[in-house]
Amino acid sequence: MPDIVVCFKWVVDEAYIRRTSSGDLDFTSVDYKISEYDRNAIEAAVRLRDAYGGSVTAMTVSVPEATKGIKDALSRGPDNAVFIADPSFRDLESSQTAAILGGVIKSRMSCQLVICGEGSGDFYAQQVGPRLAEILGIPCATYVQKITIDGGQVIAERKAEDFVEVVAMPMPALVTVLPDIGTPRIPGVKDTLMASKKPVVTLGKGDLERIPEASLKTVGMKASRMERECEKFTVDTADIARFVGALQRKGVLR
Amino acid sequence: MNFKLSEEQELIRKNIREFAEKNVDPIAAEIDEKERHPAELFKKLAEGGWMGIPIPTQYGGSGADYLTNAIVVEELSRSCASTGFTVSIHVGIACMLILLFGNEEQKKKYLTPLARGEHMGAFVLTEPGAGTDVMAATTMAAKDGEFYVLNGTKTFISNGPLADTYIVFCWTDKAAGRKGMSSFIIPKGTPGLKPGEHFHKMGLRSSQTSEVVFKDCRVPKENLLGPEGAGMMNAMTGFDHGRVGISAQSVGILQAALDESIKYSKERVQMGSPIARHQAISWMIADMATDLSAARFLTYHAAWLKDQKLPFSKEAAMAKLFCAEKAMHHTIKAVQIHGGYGYIKGAKVERLMRDAKITEIYEGTSEAQRMVISGNVLR
Repeated sequence: MPDIVVCFKWVVDEAYIRRTSSGDLDFTSVDYKISEYDRNAIEAAVRLRDAYGGSVTAMTVSVPEATKGIKDALSRGPDNAVFIADPSFRDLESSQTAAILGGVIKSRMSCQLVICGEGSGDFYAQQVGPRLAEILGIPCATYVQKITIDGGQVIAERKAEDFVEVVAMPMPALVTVLPDIGTPRIPGVKDTLMASKKPVVTLGKGDLERIPEASLKTVGMKASRMERECEKFTVDTADIARFVGALQRKGVLR
Repeated sequence: MNFKLSEEQELIRKNIREFAEKNVDPIAAEIDEKERHPAELFKKLAEGGWMGIPIPTQYGGSGADYLTNAIVVEELSRSCASTGFTVSIHVGIACMLILLFGNEEQKKKYLTPLARGEHMGAFVLTEPGAGTDVMAATTMAAKDGEFYVLNGTKTFISNGPLADTYIVFCWTDKAAGRKGMSSFIIPKGTPGLKPGEHFHKMGLRSSQTSEVVFKDCRVPKENLLGPEGAGMMNAMTGFDHGRVGISAQSVGILQAALDESIKYSKERVQMGSPIARHQAISWMIADMATDLSAARFLTYHAAWLKDQKLPFSKEAAMAKLFCAEKAMHHTIKAVQIHGGYGYIKGAKVERLMRDAKITEIYEGTSEAQRMVISGNVLR
C-alpha cells in the first residue's frame, strides 16, 4: 500500500501562444494546462493506488493563480494535493523546482513512491525527476512505460531505443514516466465538481528552506522560423542538372 | 458584473472539448450521412455524467448548474449539432420537467435513470396540425376510473423512435382552454403507444425524429406530471429551458463555422495571397466572430438567470432567436468562404449549414420567439 506523490507542472497551453509579425511570442491571452506527460504521471499514480491501495498526493510548485491546476489534477483521481505557491515561482528553473519539491517532501511528507512526467510540456529539460531523486537520496528510473509493485520493490519497465529494460528498485523510489504508461482519463462532471472538496495543503515561500539561485538565465525567446524558397524543378535533363547544382550550392551534396 | 466562468466551468469545458475531439469529431460525418444514432457515444456520455449535468446527485445527475449544461451542449454541438441537441432535449426538457414538476416517486422512478443516461427522454407536444399553435392540438386523454386513455398522433418528436420515457401533452378538458391540457410521463412499451419510423431530414440527421401515435393508450393517473390542467404551463416552462439549450447548440454551430472559416481562409490562396487577407473574406469573418460573441453572452446570461432563480423566459427567447438566426446566416457565409469546396459532402461547413436551419424552427420558430419577446416588452 504505497503512498504516492505525483508531481505536475502547470504550463502554458501552447495552442494559445501567438506569434507577432516581428517573430516574438505573445503570451497575453494564454490559458494553462497540466503538462501532457504529467497527466500520464497522475493517471499512473491513480491506477497504482486503485490496484495496490495507499494514497496519491498531487504536488506542484507554481504561482498562486494556479488553483485551477490543483482542481484539474484532483479531478483526475488523487486524494489530496500540496500546492506550493508564490508569485515569484513563474519562471523557476528545474534545479529550483526540484529543490523546493525535495525540501517539502523531506520535511513534511512520507511516501514510498514519487512519480513525475518524463519532461515538461514547455521546456522538456527532463531535470526535475532525477534531481529530485538525488535530493531525496532515493533510486530513480527514467523513461518508464510500466510500473508494478512487488512487496517493497518497484518494478519499472524502461523504454530504451531498441529494447525494454526491466529494473527493480527498493522503495522509496522515483520514476519518470512516458505517455506509454497509460492514456489519461477525461474527468467526468462529478470528478471536476468533487475536486474542490478534496484537501489541499497550501505552502508559501515562508514555509520553505532557502531556494537556490537559478543556474540558467533566459535572455530572450523567439518563435522558430523556417525559410522556404519553393523553387520548382521538372524532370527534364537540364532541370535535373540544375537541381543537383542547387543541392550542391546549399551544401546538401558535395 | 463578472464575465468570468468559474474554474470548474472552465475545466468542464476543456474536458468536454477533449471528449468531443476524441469521441465525436471522428464519427460526426458518418452519423450524419447514415442517419445513425450513436448508442456507443451516448454510453460514454452517460459514464462521464454528461447526460444529467444540472440534475441533483440524489436523482442520478451530476449536480452542476444550468450554465455548465449550456457550455457542454455548445462544445458538443461544435463537433456535431445532432449530438449536442440530443443532450439538450434530453436534459433541458425531459429531465428538467420531471425535476421541476414530478413528485418524489416519479423522480426516483423516471428521472434517476434519465439523469444517469441509462434512459433517453422525449418531449411529445407537436402535432401535424399544431406547431406554433399549441391550442390546435387534438390528442385527448379521457378519464376512465384510475386511468386516462390517450388517443391522437404526435409528430416531429425528437428521440421519438428510441426514447424510454415520453413526456406527453394532451387535453384532459378541451373546453377549459389553456387550463385543459395535462402532461403525462409514459414509459416505452406502454400498450397503445407506438413510435413511428425515423423521418429523413435535411440536417440534424443523426438525431432520431418520428411520429408517436397513441391508440387507446391507458396510463395510470399516478403518471400525471403535475396536477391535471398544468400541461400548458409545464410545456412553456419546458420550452424556456429547452431554448437555452438550442441557443447553446447554435453557439456551438457558429463557433464551428468560425473555426472552419479561419482555418480555410488562411490556407486558401487566390490572386497571390491567402483569402483571409482579402477584405471581402476578412470582414465576413469579423462579423461572424462578433455575432458569435454576442450570441454566447445572450445564451450564458439566460442560463445564468435560470441558475440565479430569476425569470429567464424573455431572455431565453431572445437568445434562441438571435443565436439561431446568426447560426443560419453565418453558416451560409462559411460555405461561401469555402466556395465550391464548401458545397461538397464531407466539408464540415456543408453539414453545419444544413444543421443550422432547424435551430430557427424547433422549440419555437423564430416567429414564435418574436411573439414571446414582443409580448414581454409591450405589456
